[in-house]
Parts: sequence; structure tokens; C-alpha cells
Amino acid sequence: MSQPNVYDARRIDPGQAPEGYADDVNDRHFVPAPCQVACPIGTDAPSYLAYIWEGKIEEAFEAITATNPFSSICGRVCDAPCEPACRRTDSDGPVAIRNLKRYVMDKLGKTHRLNPVAVTRRETIAIVGSGPAGLTAAQGLAEAGFVVHVYEMTDKLGGMMTWGIPAFRLPVGIIDEDVDRMLHRCPGITPHLGCALGRDISLDELKARHDAVLLTIGAWWGKGMDIPGGDDPRVVDGVGFLRRVNAGERPIMPETVLVVGGGDVAMDACRVAMRLPGCRNVKVLYRRGPSEIPARKDELYGAIKEGIEIIYNIQPVGVATGNDFGLRCVTTRLGEPDADGRRRPENVAGSEHDVPGGLVIVSVGQKAECEGLARHGMMAGERVKADFDGMRTADPKVFAAGDGAFGGSTIVMAMSHGHRAAYYMKAFLDGKANPLPYRTPFHTRYVPIAQDPDWETNPRHDQAFHGLGHNPVAFPEIESTYDAASAKAEAARCYRCDAETGTADYTVRTREDIFVMARTEPRDARTQRSMMRKRLRGRDDPFGPNYLATLEDLVFLPANLSRLVIDPYRDACNVGCDLPGGVHLNLPAVVTGFDDAPDEVLEGVGGAIKAAGVAYLGRRRPAADVPWLQVVVVGQGVPDAAAAMVVHAQPDGFRPFEPRRARPDQAIGLAVSGEDLEAAIPFALDRKFDLLVLQASGDVSRSWPELAGMPDLSVIRDAVAIMRRMNREEDAALLFFGGARSGTDIAKLIALGANAVVVGAAMGFALGGHTEKAGFKFYGDITSAERAERGALFLKALSSEASIMARCTGKTDVHNLEPEDLRAITLATARAVGVPIAGTHTIPAAAE
Amino acid sequence: MASIDLAVVPVRAANERLRQLGAAGEDIEILNPDARHHIGVGLVHPVTVHIRGSAGYFCAGLTDGPRFVVDNNVGWGLADNMLKGSIVVNGNASAIAGVAIRGAEVIVKGNMGSRAGQVMKAGTLACAGNANFMAGYMMYGGRIVILGDSGDKVGQDMTGGTIYVGGRIVALGTDAKVTDLSSADDDELRAFLDRYELPFRGTFQKIVNAGKNLRYGKTEPRVRVIPYFEASEANGYWNTKVREDIEVKAQIGRYRIRGYGAARPLPHISDLAFRTDLTAIPADPSVVDKVRMRTLLGGRSGAKPLDLSMPVMIAPMSYGALSKSAKVALAHASRLSDTSENTGEGGLSNEQREAAKQIIYQCLSGRLGWNIHDMHRANGLEIYISQGAKPGLGGQLMAKKVTKEIARIRGIPEGIDLRSPSRHPDVLGADDLVIKVEEFREATGYRIPVSVKLGAGRVRDDIKIAYKDGFDFVELDGLQGSTGAAGNEVLEFVGIPTLSAIQEAIDALSEIGAADKLPIVLMGGVKDGIDAAKVLALGATATAVGTSAIIAGGCIACLQCHVGNCVTGIATQDPVHERRYNVPVEAQNIHRYLEAVRWQLASVAHAHGYADVRQFKREDLVALTPEAAAITRLPYDPSLRERDRGGR
Repeated sequence: MSQPNVYDARRIDPGQAPEGYADDVNDRHFVPAPCQVACPIGTDAPSYLAYIWEGKIEEAFEAITATNPFSSICGRVCDAPCEPACRRTDSDGPVAIRNLKRYVMDKLGKTHRLNPVAVTRRETIAIVGSGPAGLTAAQGLAEAGFVVHVYEMTDKLGGMMTWGIPAFRLPVGIIDEDVDRMLHRCPGITPHLGCALGRDISLDELKARHDAVLLTIGAWWGKGMDIPGGDDPRVVDGVGFLRRVNAGERPIMPETVLVVGGGDVAMDACRVAMRLPGCRNVKVLYRRGPSEIPARKDELYGAIKEGIEIIYNIQPVGVATGNDFGLRCVTTRLGEPDADGRRRPENVAGSEHDVPGGLVIVSVGQKAECEGLARHGMMAGERVKADFDGMRTADPKVFAAGDGAFGGSTIVMAMSHGHRAAYYMKAFLDGKANPLPYRTPFHTRYVPIAQDPDWETNPRHDQAFHGLGHNPVAFPEIESTYDAASAKAEAARCYRCDAETGTADYTVRTREDIFVMARTEPRDARTQRSMMRKRLRGRDDPFGPNYLATLEDLVFLPANLSRLVIDPYRDACNVGCDLPGGVHLNLPAVVTGFDDAPDEVLEGVGGAIKAAGVAYLGRRRPAADVPWLQVVVVGQGVPDAAAAMVVHAQPDGFRPFEPRRARPDQAIGLAVSGEDLEAAIPFALDRKFDLLVLQASGDVSRSWPELAGMPDLSVIRDAVAIMRRMNREEDAALLFFGGARSGTDIAKLIALGANAVVVGAAMGFALGGHTEKAGFKFYGDITSAERAERGALFLKALSSEASIMARCTGKTDVHNLEPEDLRAITLATARAVGVPIAGTHTIPAAAE
Repeated sequence: MASIDLAVVPVRAANERLRQLGAAGEDIEILNPDARHHIGVGLVHPVTVHIRGSAGYFCAGLTDGPRFVVDNNVGWGLADNMLKGSIVVNGNASAIAGVAIRGAEVIVKGNMGSRAGQVMKAGTLACAGNANFMAGYMMYGGRIVILGDSGDKVGQDMTGGTIYVGGRIVALGTDAKVTDLSSADDDELRAFLDRYELPFRGTFQKIVNAGKNLRYGKTEPRVRVIPYFEASEANGYWNTKVREDIEVKAQIGRYRIRGYGAARPLPHISDLAFRTDLTAIPADPSVVDKVRMRTLLGGRSGAKPLDLSMPVMIAPMSYGALSKSAKVALAHASRLSDTSENTGEGGLSNEQREAAKQIIYQCLSGRLGWNIHDMHRANGLEIYISQGAKPGLGGQLMAKKVTKEIARIRGIPEGIDLRSPSRHPDVLGADDLVIKVEEFREATGYRIPVSVKLGAGRVRDDIKIAYKDGFDFVELDGLQGSTGAAGNEVLEFVGIPTLSAIQEAIDALSEIGAADKLPIVLMGGVKDGIDAAKVLALGATATAVGTSAIIAGGCIACLQCHVGNCVTGIATQDPVHERRYNVPVEAQNIHRYLEAVRWQLASVAHAHGYADVRQFKREDLVALTPEAAAITRLPYDPSLRERDRGGR
């Protein structure tokens, strides 16, 4: 099968999910990844890979098995169309999606059970054939509440999975894992083994007994070669050969075995033969060249590594007539493309030669055969006559799916047929004459992206290939799986094409649209139009009517031509400042919030403050030699002479009061909130307060008020306006408190009129605090020296950020920043702080 | 010896004549130079030019090979970017003598002004007198010889090279130190001086880079970025992104660095809609032939304009930030779609030149890769003032990305942490810029358009200056513009959105009656042909795609461009990673993306009944958000969002 194009119109516009299959494609933060689109059953590979990285194996198991009842089998033998679709294929090889599935299934496949689903419907359904298509449909229908009877001609469930895949690829017992899990999940499924259609039961009986019938009879019979001597007993068919071996036989081989064909059955047959007693050489004869051979590359390379010879461009024309048995062959060359687009092999005249071999295994295709169906006129040649759009046959009660109806394919494709059939049969039983067309549903589990620093450099870690092993006839398994560490490293390689990255401008949708545009032929106007319509849909209002003002929505206007930028290699940019009370700050920040912290933490805070050259605002001083702005709750606290300043706080709102000092020359401050500004500022200026703490996040005397939410930025706007109105802007310093998170925030607040900014919660995080309830808890995971270092580094980072903002704006001192250096990008913020919206010069009027 | 008398011949004609005489191998004397600017710029033949008097700015600038002699003094920018050859000034030189030289020998027999040898890369700058402050400022290589006193802050932030001082070292600059002088150094130096008849009896002190500021202390922990939050979502003020940011800064003590542009939600072009209902556009494969899209850009002052098959160009991105493979794929795609490529800061490689049909060649503050020969083989010259991602800051390229070849193209030592100054050595204001533009035009015979790249800030003022300075067009880059590495805070919080930028630019040009006279190429977050159409309707002449083109060519937007390990081979110089990039395949992908843009742009125009994309106008648009309406003054009509979502 050729690789499906995962960048086609389905991706642009997957259409509405069918009823009962609501999926996540309409979520704007999700686009199914190429691997998921390539998977016929839409396996959410990015999620299970991310779960593996997180070590959440049960969650990975859920993601794997959600649409795949044969996950243990697929972990080993899926043809994995996801892997060539993986975008990392183009870089250093795809993520090992298949084997990582096996890693999970090996851990949990045997034991992990899914909750049983009860029978809720009266209708019963017959399914003929228990291959991947039939059993997938059985599970889907049983999960929908129906009673399902599975009629299987052999003595084992599994169809070609059981009878066609040799044990060195799929060890005995793996199929049972999946089947047992399914039967445990679906008590409504009843298998009838050894019951063949036409021999043990007729279609009419099934129709009479059940409300609907699904024919998943498989392409069970190998096609022969129509050549003279093709009926020789030394010429056998590939699937029949595999069936015998899977039944337990180990026939003795002649020294040389010939296998005709280039598909997956040919690969299995040649590799089986190589392992059987007596066999020394196996030659595969394929009529086209190496780039045309349809076998899955892994299987082909496996065969070659096991010593099997592949002879290309060769076509048998009869059995050999010389002394040794074998095939009479001709050489071929590729001619014109035929109907299916593949170049037809042409025989080269005069090239006849014999290829000796004691056994010829013919693997040139399979067919469905069923006398019972043929009698009803339900066969079209080698297939059950069916319509893929509705999985229907001519008989309204009878549906068909899988290889038997649509030709030989893969397990995962057969499973997708099973899902389709279950969907259309349920619609039929629900009385829906014209259901929405089925499409593969695409889910995501929104697993966070693996935070692995080595994701870019980890190479694909392929599992060791064991080949024939020490005792080939025992069919030891050819491949291993990962251990926990290597599975994690491999899973980390996933690009997460399904998920948002850090940019809101290039969302996952935008990026994937661009990817599709880049893979659409310019003249393919239909796809161009589909993409155009998709792009027209645009985005939602990123802010919306209830959006609040935030510091993030202020930007600085850089210097360019109309003023000079400050070259950091040339000019210094000052960030320090002085506060009343003789407090010098090396950067315009004052730390707060640690009054009630354990002594060890306080020690760290003190160390950080000293190292950074800033000050502390609070009821308690973290260390003796730290400049201290003492918070005194009016009527409760006692001023300390050691404090550089006494900051009076009134947690219950402003009322005039008599300020207190511990010494006559002590500076005094007043902490004031937005609603009290009009009353408090004239009072403070009148009483010669030296400083105002503008409380945008609540009362500074309380514990961590900033954690409660967003600061109210209008406090700084209003405070400056009141002081300007009084023409007393310079008469008190302004210390802003509320939600400062970065040096950029500090620079913005200074531009808006603050002299310095209080840093509380941000320091809590920087010092390793964990938020619990409404405050920080500190644990003994780091020492106070480490805390001091972290705090000092964080403050240094704030300084570097504030200074870079000033320099970009063309200022050599952060305190020269002014409101005119700012623009807002949202109306809410423009109004709250009183600066124009970017691109304009006017402050927007208040909202209506 | 031929004579040119500047009392009668204008400088432009004189420079043309100089080049003719130079090509003929004839020596020349310049009479009555009268301190004119740009004397001899662009000369690339090894002839002798004797200037009988004083020369003005950029004397002998952008040259390769000639031997100049100046009888008296010179203005600033002496021997700007001179590759080989020599100049002997018998008098004094003004500021930035020997700026950005790449091998020339520059001799000043008198004193020289400040910042002599700024960003020079190779060659010798020798001064018999004293130097003013910051001699050797940010020099990358070569040597400066000062026989007199050094001036203040000598060797300020020099990266490489050597400064020899015969007189007093007034004060060392940041990150410079005095080191031992070997006798071999001394002998070689004196032999050089003898050659130029500059006898020196004293002793030299040798100054080199001290190596303290070249690298960051702790490396930033490598992380995969946390997916963005929507502004309107209640993710909490102290959300995981904020906490991660604080955590990292508490480890490294400085601002963080990443790739890409502003990552948070901003008002954008996507917040506009066309009044015309586009949901029923037909699937017309030949619509691109029904709308005239060809755009000539840059002919305003008589230069040969860029000839673009549509008004969509490739945005400037450097070879250095990107791998050569990625640059070649972009260049090839630009050829396939018949538009233009842009070198960005990294200089012009032969492969890029060959792959692109038309390429704009950028000149940045560090003058990395800048030289007269590549100017001649470019189709456009561009002075970079700033970019939307990091206006106000110079570029940085970490040592990991400074490979042998990149070092060669940029003219710097291999394996250094490469920093550029935040502003041009010779552009301190609008008037300087006029003279700089003229230097480029003189050097290239006025044949090549000269544009300016501006990150959007005080656009209203800046765009008027750009117009008055005579640029042929402006590449205007909004806050959404991306980069290979910049401080996160600058990426997010310095500059104004692309939408605001174009509005201010158009308003400003209208204010001075220059609407339609200065073409604007708007960039920064343009993603498709619909965006391109909106940009044209807003008044831009063209647009450029950078990030989108990179995504079309395989970028997965992990924002880790600065690390240098790019998983797709785009933003890396690691040969193992670069091998992952399949140039022919990705060139086709980028080309198909550009063709999809073309199809969309044509379809939008055709749906409006326009036969030419220049017919788009403001009135074609409405705003879908209050912010977009406030910025553009377009009517607010959010109902059209639902209309545009109806089409299936």
C-alpha cells in the first residue's frame, strides 16, 4: 500500500465527526499530528509517547488501546504507517512509535483489564470471521451494548493474526493477551469456534437468528501461479504454508527454497523457511525492482539480514525441466505504467534460465472464497461484493469488511474497517437510513510536552535485531523492546506536532496550515480554496469584553532613528535609586513577604537583600544589617529605632491617625489602597509623610496578598494624578506593591511614576517557595545559602531586565522612563494606566 | 597621472571617473578636494589616488586595493570598510578612523578622533599622534598602533585584535588588559612603521581582550517552552510560565534568551476582515493570471528597482542564525517564485547569491560580512537600524554557531562569541544617515536601491526621517517579527504590534504629504495571502514572510533557535544537524507555500473585482476587535467573524 498523504484536504478540513464519535479536531489548540492522521484508526501517538516520557504507563496504555483492540499485537507487527509520516523522519529518523507501544504493552498487556461493558441492547449481531476486522467490529458493537456472536471456522480467534504471522515476529500468547482483554471487556461477545459459513451454518440461518450480519471472512486463500507445472506438489501457496507452520508443524525443507512474490506474506514465508530444518538457502523472486517491492522495509531488511537472497526483475514462466527441480524464469524490465500506476514488468526475450530449488512457495496474493456466499451472488470474483461508503452488501442486513471485502491489507487497516462497519451497523440498527459518513475520530489527551533537554539530540534508538537466533526452529523473537530509561529517551524525541508551543502567534493550527500550504500543488485550486476558507476563519478576539488590565499589555517604544539607543557596550545604564530615610537601592526593588517565614528562610532572604543591595519592607527585619522599612499596623505595632522608615498600614482602610516614630529623624510612610487615595494622599502630604506604598494587590501587612490575583494598576495612575493635581508630585516617594514579576514590570511601573517597586510573591517563588492555600511554604530542600544565592540572582536578573528596557528606550537611567515611553496593546490596560494604545497618540475613552 | 578637479567636477561624477581611471590602471590626483565627503568610495583597483588638500566623511570608504594619500585632514569614517590597500593622511583624522577595515593599512600622521578602529576586523590602523576615547571599541581583529596617548577607555569591549600604545594609556576600556609585548611583535611593528616613515623610539604597551565579558556565567537551563496561554483564559496571575521564568532567573541571574518573536497574544492583522464575503471564492487555478501582482520596488531615486512577481518577499534572516542549507532553500524558493531574498546580518555566501535571483544585502552595526564586492552583486542594499524582535539591541551569535566559514564571511576570528554594537558606528542621528546612504550610492554608482530596516517603535517620527533621508523603501517590522536569539523581555515588551506600525507609518507620511511616496514593506507575523492582502489594503506596498517561510520549510516552532541544536537543521551550524535538512525538498515546500500565498492574494483581489493588487484600500477592511478598531480607526464589526467562519 502506498503511504497516504497526511497533508491532504482531510487535514485542512476533516469535516464533522460522525455521531457518537465527537472528537477534538474542533479544538483550536489541537491538530491531529501527521502520525495520527496516517494511522487508519487514529491512534493518539503523541499522547502515549508523552505519557511514556512521564512514566505514566497506565495512561499510555489507555491512549494506545482506546481505538486499538490489538495493541499487543500491533506493538510487534503493525506495519506502522505512523512512522514514515512522523515529521522527525526527515531529520534523524522517526520516533519508534510502534516499539514504544510494545514497551507499554509488555508492561501491562497481560494483566491490565478494562472495565466490562454491559449488554444494553436487545439486538444481536453475527460476525463471520474473527480476524482484526471482525473482532474490532465485535468490540465496537459490544461496547455499544449489542450482543455479538462471532463465528470462526478454525479453532482459534484472530484470523490471519493467528494463522499468518510467524512466532518469531509475534510470539505465541501475544494474541491471547489482546483477545482475553477484549472478551473480559465485552461479556456480550460469544465466540463460536469451528463454525464455518456454508459448512456449519448458512447465511440464511444467520440472518434469521440475528438482526445484522457482518462478513469479515478474510482473504484466506493464496492465489496460485498459472504456469506449466504450477500444480506440482513441490509448489505450495504462502498463506497455506504459514498456516501449517503456525499450527505447530515444522516441515523439513529442501536445501534451497524459492519464494515467489514481494509482499509481506512472501517475507514471512521466506523467513519461516530459513528457520526450518534442512533449509540452507532461500531465494525470493520478485518481478519488479528494489524500489517497487511492496514489502515493508523492516521485514525486507530483516530477511536480507537473515541471509535470504532477493532476486529482482525475475518472473517464473514454468517449472524447471532439467535435473534439479526449480523454476524456469525470465528476466524482466519495467515497461509503461499500467492501470494502477505501477510500471508493468516486461519479459526480456531470450533470457530464460533455471533457478533450482526443492520447494516453491508462491506468495503472489490472496483471495476470499466462500461457496455459501457465492451461491447467494454475494461474491464479486475473489472478494465479497460490498460498498466501502457504507460497508454494505446488496443485502440490507448484511455488511462486509476487511480483506475479504476490500483486498489484502494490514492489521491496522482491517481494524479501521472494523470500526467503520461497527459505526454503519449501529446506525442501521438505530434505524438511521442515511448516517453521516464515518471518519476516523482524532482525540488528544492534552499531555504536556516532554520537558526533556535532550529531545533535539537524542538519536533514534533502534532495538537490537536478533535474526535467526541460536535455535532458529524454535522461532525465537527477532526484536527486543526498550527499558524504562531508553523508552523515555526515545519518547522525548517526539516533536509534538499536535500541540501548541510557546507562541500564540504561530499556533498549532497556523503552523499546520502553513505546512499544508507548503505541500499543496500550486495548480490544485480545490485544495487552495479549502485552505483559503480555513484561513478565513481566523481567530477569536484574543482579549474579549471581560479582559482585565495587566502590566503585560504595556510595551516600551524603542529608540531607532528619532533618538539614540543606548549601547550596552558603551554606556552604563543606572538602575539604582535612593528612598527617604537614607535607604539606597542598587536596583529599584524592595523585598517583602517573609515576616512569618522560618528563620532559615529569613536568613536566605537577608543574604539575598544584602548581596543585591536592596531593602526589606515588613513587620520583622530579616537580618540586622539589612535596610528596613518597618511595617507598623496603626494602633498595634511599635516603631523600631533600627528601621530606616516606619510604614504605617491600616488593613481595614484609611482613617486619619497620628504617625509614630521611634526617633525624631525617622522617615515615615503610609501604605494606601486604591479606594483610599483621594483621602489618604492629601493627609499624607499634609503630615509630611516621606513615602507612600501604593497597594495594588491588597494590604502589605497581610501575608502574601499578591497570590490572590491580579493587581489593580489604576492605583498608580490615580496616585500620580492626585499628586499632580496638588502640584506636589515630588513631595513623597512612591513604592508600588502588587504583582511585580520581572524587571520589565518594574521598569513599567517606574515609567508610570513609581520610585521603586515591592517584590513579594516573585521572591517567594525565587527562594523555592511552594504555594499552599494562600501563602508560601518553604521546605528544607535547599539551604539558606542557596536561598540567598537564588534570591540575589533573581534580583540581579530583575536589574538586568529593567536596565535593558531603559536602554532600548534610549535612557541611561531607569528612572528617566516616563509614561510617554509606553504604549498599551489592549484597551483595558490603556484605560487603567492612562497611556495610548499602540499606533495611536490618544488615551482611549472609558468603556461604554 | 590623471587629474580631477573637484572645483568643477561634482563628487558623483568624480567617483565615476575615478572608477574608470582605476579600471584603466591610471593613477589619479584630486585637486581642490575642499573636504568633500565620499571621495574615492567604491574604488577597487590598485592605483594611487593623491588628494591634494583635505577630505570629508568616508574618504576611501568601501574600497579594495587603492593607495590613497591625503595631504591634509580627513573627516569621520576614514577608510570605512576598506579591504586592502592603504591610505596615508598627513594631517588629522576625525572620529571612527579605520572603522570596520578588513585588511587595509590606514596611517594618520596627526591625531585621530574617538572610536578609531571600531568593529575593525583585520589590517592596521596607525596614528602618529594621540587617539581620542574608545580607540579599538568592539574591534574583532587587526591592530591599532597609537604612537601618542591612547585616550580614555582604549580597547572598550574589544573582542579580538591588538592595540599598541607608544604614549600613555589614559584608561583601559571594559574587558581590555595590558599584556606582555614579545620582541617579535616589537620588531614587526617597527618595520611596519619604518615603511610608512613613522620612526618611533619609545616602548610600546600591548592591549588585548581580557576575556571577562565574552561569555555568560551560568548557561540557561535548556527547556522546551511551556505552551502559550490565551490572554482571555483564566490561567492565574502566577501561572506555570511565570513561575518557570522566575525559577530560571533565580538560577542564572539575568534575562532569558530564546528564538522567535513576541509569543503572547497581541492585536494583529488577523483581527481585521474584508467587507467583501470571500467564503464563496471559486477554485480557480488561473486566478493568479487574472490579477496584476508584479511589483517594482526601490526605483524612487533612479536605482534599478527590485522586480517582484508579487508583493511578497522573503524577510531578512542571517546565515549564522540559520544554517547555510536553510538559507539556500529560501533563496532557491525565492527564485522559483520570482521574488527576493535578504541576507540579514550574516553576509552573502556564494551559494545564496547563486540560488537567489534577487537578493537584498543588509548592513548592520558590526559590519559583519559587509564589503564592496558583495554590495555590487546585490540587487538591493539595506541599512539595518533595528528589527521588531529586538529593537535597540545589537545581534549576538554564540561561539557554537561561529564556524570557520561564518567567520570567514563575516570577517572575524573563528569561534568567538560574536556581539554587535546596538547602533551603527557612523550613524548617530538622521543627518549621519543621509551621508551614509549617499556613501552607499556613491560606491555603487547609484544603481542599487537602498532601503532601511526598522523595528516598530516611534514609527511616526522614524518613518518621516526615513523618508527625508532618501531611502528607496522601508522594511518596517512589527513586534511580532522573529529572530534567532533575543532576550525574552525585549521580544515581548519592546516595540509595537505590526498592525499599529503600519497605521502610524501611513498616518505619518500623510501628515507630511508623502503618502504613496515612500514604499513600505510591512513584516512581522504575516502568514498567508489574506494577511498579505490586508497589509496592502492598510497601505503597505509589499510584505515579507520570515517565520512562515521557515515553517513552510520544516520549522516546528520549538523556539529554541538560540541553542544551536535545531532538530530540523534550520537554526544550527552543527553539521550533523544540518545534514537533516533536505534543501531541494524544502525549497520546493517554501516555493509551494509562496505560491499558495500568491493564489490567496490573487483570489482576494479578484473577489473584490480588482485587476491589480494595488487597488486594495483601507475601506475594504473592518475591525473584528475593539483593539484593532482603536488602532486602525476602521469600523468595528465583529459580526463578520461569524460570516467568515460559515464557509466550508
